[in-house]
Amino acid sequence: MEGFDRRTFLRHAGLVAAGSVAVGVGVTVAGPGIWRRLRRPWDEDAFPPPGSPRVLVARVASYDADLDRTVEAGLREVGADVAGRSVLLKPNLVEYDPDTVINTDPRLVAATVLAVRRLGAASVVVAEGPGHRRDTAFVLNASGLGDALRGAEAPFVDLNAAPVVSVPLRSSYTDLRELWLPRPVVEADVVVSMPKMKTHHWAGATLSLKNCFGCVPGRIYGWPKNLLHWAGIQEAVIDVAAAVRPSVQIVDGIVAMEGNGPIDGTPLHAGLLVFGTDPVATDATAARLMGLDPDRIDYLHEAGRFLGQADPERIRQIGEDPERWITPFELLAEFEHLRVGSTAAPRGGPDGLA
Amino acid sequence: MEASRFERAAELLLRTRSGEGFGPVPGAPAEAEPTALAAIALDDEAARRWLVQAQHEDGSFGIRTGGVVSTAATSLAALALPPGSERELALDHLIAHPAEKVRTGKDSPGDGSIPGWGWTEGTAGWVEPTSRAILALRRLRPQVTEPIEVGVRYLANRECIGGGWNYGNRLVYDVELPPYGQTTALALVALRGHPSAAELVERGTAALRRLWPVERGPLTLAVTLAAFRLLDLPDAEPVATALDVELEGATVSDAVALAWAAIASGPGLSALELG
Repeated sequence: MEGFDRRTFLRHAGLVAAGSVAVGVGVTVAGPGIWRRLRRPWDEDAFPPPGSPRVLVARVASYDADLDRTVEAGLREVGADVAGRSVLLKPNLVEYDPDTVINTDPRLVAATVLAVRRLGAASVVVAEGPGHRRDTAFVLNASGLGDALRGAEAPFVDLNAAPVVSVPLRSSYTDLRELWLPRPVVEADVVVSMPKMKTHHWAGATLSLKNCFGCVPGRIYGWPKNLLHWAGIQEAVIDVAAAVRPSVQIVDGIVAMEGNGPIDGTPLHAGLLVFGTDPVATDATAARLMGLDPDRIDYLHEAGRFLGQADPERIRQIGEDPERWITPFELLAEFEHLRVGSTAAPRGGPDGLA
Repeated sequence: MEASRFERAAELLLRTRSGEGFGPVPGAPAEAEPTALAAIALDDEAARRWLVQAQHEDGSFGIRTGGVVSTAATSLAALALPPGSERELALDHLIAHPAEKVRTGKDSPGDGSIPGWGWTEGTAGWVEPTSRAILALRRLRPQVTEPIEVGVRYLANRECIGGGWNYGNRLVYDVELPPYGQTTALALVALRGHPSAAELVERGTAALRRLWPVERGPLTLAVTLAAFRLLDLPDAEPVATALDVELEGATVSDAVALAWAAIASGPGLSALELG
């Protein structure tokens, strides 16, 4: 039996109330969503109730600062335990466009390699399966990540080509039931999800949960990883993240992306890094820093039911006061309803499409 | 130089052999796509035997787990197999399993009524699997014109503005998406010489001439070399030189890229010729 505190009760009560109104408008639209929320599509044994995780918001003006020391301190502050463990860093490396900031900055990735080593990791590898381009070597080198990793003497694994194992899913928001995942991801002791802080024109925001899409191998699921969109992008974010279970998160919001993300958005200097050990708590904090209401991002709201802590009163914010550094990101009109305090109505998503 | 490039690519490719088949990288179990490409590149009988034993009852090749059936390798396996019932069954499956039609919207403005072929069954069509399917059908079942025409129409619909192709989205939320070298080259391999595709090929070739000098990854260069060779263009020579540089180090481990490099540099290219 899950602990059921007053806040959770109120949230559920609110959903039922909102659902009642929506049913009055159109049962064919509102019904399935409500029923989905009333059921519990996850294996309770696999997901213990979340505690009160620490999330650190750090002000970092540029990538040229003493970044490895900053990352090391950040990981210590949030209690990331990497000593003696095999660590896999999973940045965003989706695509290459010299005119914008699609990917996690290579300097941050290299700095994290150094920081994790100093914290005593037994091994560290950087891994990604780019979602648009099949020529990973091109994206790796054009983005600058290849040079950065050579400088840090860190190996890179192409998750689109790595050996895979079939992993039964412990949540069932999609009908996938099982997922092929790269062996390096499954066998790593610690997966560090390192997303670029971005808006996303289908999912709402790319943060540490959505970043797990890159772990899914393109040679099975395609370029783009369309199957995950076809299965329902919000649902797939939850199932994939629940399978990958990134236990450490570092969100790159030094230069973030607003507007038509995740590819064609506009760079935004937010000057922030967000560290955590609970992906829901980290993403909820990062979303608030972007001016988004995490409860309105479907996948984040649902993930908050079982995959981590979404309740702001139970997330221990350390470092900078998040309230002070909120930068309302520009959003496509379709996503204005995600903004904190917005009265805009959702326009419906493109689930099932490319 | 040609011989040494082929030998270098073949040497690296052979490191991915796993039993009679080939894995996607060294040390990985064999899979249909790298095995099919290696069979073509190296004229490898063991790889063909692996394919025959790996074929599913319905004629497809690929990976299944849970609710996912990933059969995009079927077209390549058909190209790799010798004449016979296995190849015919693979082609039957290819024709019977185009992608799903999708609705059109601002987020996906392509003509969703033209399906093409997808990566996984029951999902949308994309440029790479569609190009491979067109190639297999044009080479092995040219008389089956309707599916081929649908594939060509798909590529025409997904052509990037100004020519060439990316993975398959021309425009999303009113933003033009640029073409990629690798997918453009593959589409050219499939479309060259098709009577309905002359302008697509012309624009795609011009795009590829712009793209490859800045997209110097081994897979892009290898497929580009194959495309320029099959189009009988002198552009192939500088691409070959750039590919040599990529192959010099021992860092290329992607079996698909290595197989394309060997195909483009060796006798396997004839297996992609069209009548």
